[in-house]
Amino acid sequence: MDTGGSEKLNRRALLAGAVFLLGGAAALSRFSRPGTSGGGGKSADDGPVLSAEQFALLEQVSETMVPATDTAGAIGAGVPEFIREMLSEWGSAGTRSDFANVLESIQQQAWSRFGMDFLEMPPERRLAVMKDFDAARIGSHDGPYRKFKWLVLIGYYHSEEGATHELRYELVPGAWRACLPITEVGRASAFY
Amino acid sequence: MDFDAIVIGSGISGGWAAKELCERGLRTLLIERGRHVTHKADYQDFSAPWELDNRGQVPEDEAHQDYAIQSTSYAFNSATRQWWVKDSEHPYLTPEGREFHWLRGYHLGGRSLTWARQTYRLSDLDFNANKKDGHGVDWPIRYADISPWYDHVESFAGISGNSEGLEQLPDGRFLKPMDLNCAELDFKRKIESRHPSRRVTIGRCAHLTEPTAEHIALGRGPCQLRSVCERGCGYGGYFSTLSATLPAAQRTGNLTLVTDAIVEKLDYDPAKRRISSVRVIDAKTNERRSYQARVVFLCASTIPTAQILLHSKSEYFPNGLANRSDQVGRNLMDHVHGIGAIGNVPGLLDRYYYGRRPTGIYIPRYANVTEDGRGEYTRGWAFQGKGERPSWDRALDSPGIGAEMKAQLREPGPWQMVLFGFAEMLPRADNRVTLHVSRKDSSGLPLVHIDCTFGDNDRKLAAEADKDASAMLVAAGCTNVRKLFPQLKPPGACVHEMGTVRMGRDPATSVLNAHNQAHDIPNLFITDGSCMTSSSCVNPSLTYMALSARAAHFAADRLGTGEL
Repeated sequence: MDTGGSEKLNRRALLAGAVFLLGGAAALSRFSRPGTSGGGGKSADDGPVLSAEQFALLEQVSETMVPATDTAGAIGAGVPEFIREMLSEWGSAGTRSDFANVLESIQQQAWSRFGMDFLEMPPERRLAVMKDFDAARIGSHDGPYRKFKWLVLIGYYHSEEGATHELRYELVPGAWRACLPITEVGRASAFY
Repeated sequence: MDFDAIVIGSGISGGWAAKELCERGLRTLLIERGRHVTHKADYQDFSAPWELDNRGQVPEDEAHQDYAIQSTSYAFNSATRQWWVKDSEHPYLTPEGREFHWLRGYHLGGRSLTWARQTYRLSDLDFNANKKDGHGVDWPIRYADISPWYDHVESFAGISGNSEGLEQLPDGRFLKPMDLNCAELDFKRKIESRHPSRRVTIGRCAHLTEPTAEHIALGRGPCQLRSVCERGCGYGGYFSTLSATLPAAQRTGNLTLVTDAIVEKLDYDPAKRRISSVRVIDAKTNERRSYQARVVFLCASTIPTAQILLHSKSEYFPNGLANRSDQVGRNLMDHVHGIGAIGNVPGLLDRYYYGRRPTGIYIPRYANVTEDGRGEYTRGWAFQGKGERPSWDRALDSPGIGAEMKAQLREPGPWQMVLFGFAEMLPRADNRVTLHVSRKDSSGLPLVHIDCTFGDNDRKLAAEADKDASAMLVAAGCTNVRKLFPQLKPPGACVHEMGTVRMGRDPATSVLNAHNQAHDIPNLFITDGSCMTSSSCVNPSLTYMALSARAAHFAADRLGTGEL
């Protein structure tokens, strides 16, 4: 059976010198095989999945949703870059278009509420716009926005920064302790 | 003869058959239709979430186009995609409007890599069921026949669980159980006090909580509580063909392993009343070749086993090999799935857990055992479930962003309890696997056609179980209790498909005898899920293990005395 679509992982594994994870020679042969991405993402020569303006908006929207506090925020955790990569490698054309529409709607809300571009607003106004936008879209079970929010949150909480500094993650817990005072465990586990 | 024995299929059943036959000194050929997999090296179990391809997500178009059915599994992600067939390359047929989900992978070890590892014994409640209520045919064995073989396979596989002394769910040779968490302990106390006829216990599972010398000798170590099991486990913390039975077979020096070899048909020699050879197609080159042995174990799994028999027609078996009874392909069962509820557990907010436990709770069957079904239905169901505190993903369904959300998500969410029902499905002759008359797969073999629906009793059980799931959560004090599933999942979705080559006492109404031996063909044994005469409501893999080991020893004994 074809194990296509893992070239990117293989690339990373090779960079990390961790070819053993993927079965040595087999991984190398998959790495060099063309056309195995299975029709998932967008090919590299179709141009960027987000324009410079869209990416700038995504940076500020995601940072507004998950701001830097005593730990990094979305930008510090690489969320905008992660989402750009997901839209390219993972998202369908429908998802990419939905994502762009959500960004556009946020910008529209910024104009209609404060008469300003989202990027030119001070952080308090951005927060006000996003808070209302989030409440309305979650309240109406809006599918595209739920996916948008999921990308921001998985981008943050499953990043190394989000999982290990903001929350808690152990690659190898090594034990099951079934019932503990929460103070002994600390923060929520990032990975169920 | 090339070999003493041939085993077809390297999943849970085939792995066990090969191990036992090899350990009995038989030169054994194990044939796997899929590619070779190297234990540890081919797993992605040491990747953190941020190291996974697309954070574990398979590209949407690829999932839709190539894995339309397989992607419905909870265990399908970018780190496990290699364990699932592409539906686009391996189609099967179903009648319009009658969906069947056939979830599978073609590789060494089969679904022993991706199984949910829950392990329960059948009891005499199950072995007597068909005889008692008249559905299907009588099992040719009883609990006493299989009990020592459950002991045998449990010791080797390593099963963690708690002894409960219940007749309907016999205890086994258990390693130390994993503990219930705080919410589950509270749930157990409330349910058992409210319903003295019900029991809440920890899920019995094929995980090494305390490896024995036997496990360690195979290179296995204790479960590390990672819960990335379906990627494959480099620690050998759970039982799979690759972690356990395959290395055990290999160290005997009696095993020959062939991968990428698709069994086309079995040849029957009417003069000797024996399978004379196993014909295969090389998956890479399409070359055909055949192998001979004194005995053949067909463990290709429920649907392919029926497919191979139906395709192995001859003058003597015009309806398919071993199919004088016309039962091959019939009586397809799964467990009724898509039953359950979830509720919020008040309190316990100062309590949490550490580690990612790879099992949950289990509520053994009580319907028509300790509680009367009032004649409205026969058989029963069991529940699996768990208590947990959700993490950041709870924010996807509730409004909130910014520093406030971040602060909230730093803490785990309030406790939830969830219950999933697994109901017994009755054997019905019309639930059937057949071969399409003209359509072929890429190797030129006839496509299977699967026609399977739930019957009235199956649906009644599901409806009762669904009510009970909600009622128990309410009884345990949960709030906001809601049903999990608007409708049942299609048959097959539980991935417990079984029954297409049933065991029985009468050659006129069954295919296999009490030793999983074809009634008509002494050197053909079938020990995968197809042999099941009824489905019970417990997860079936442990029973396949026990029946495979038992049949292998029976065959080895008969080969030794020259009877085979």
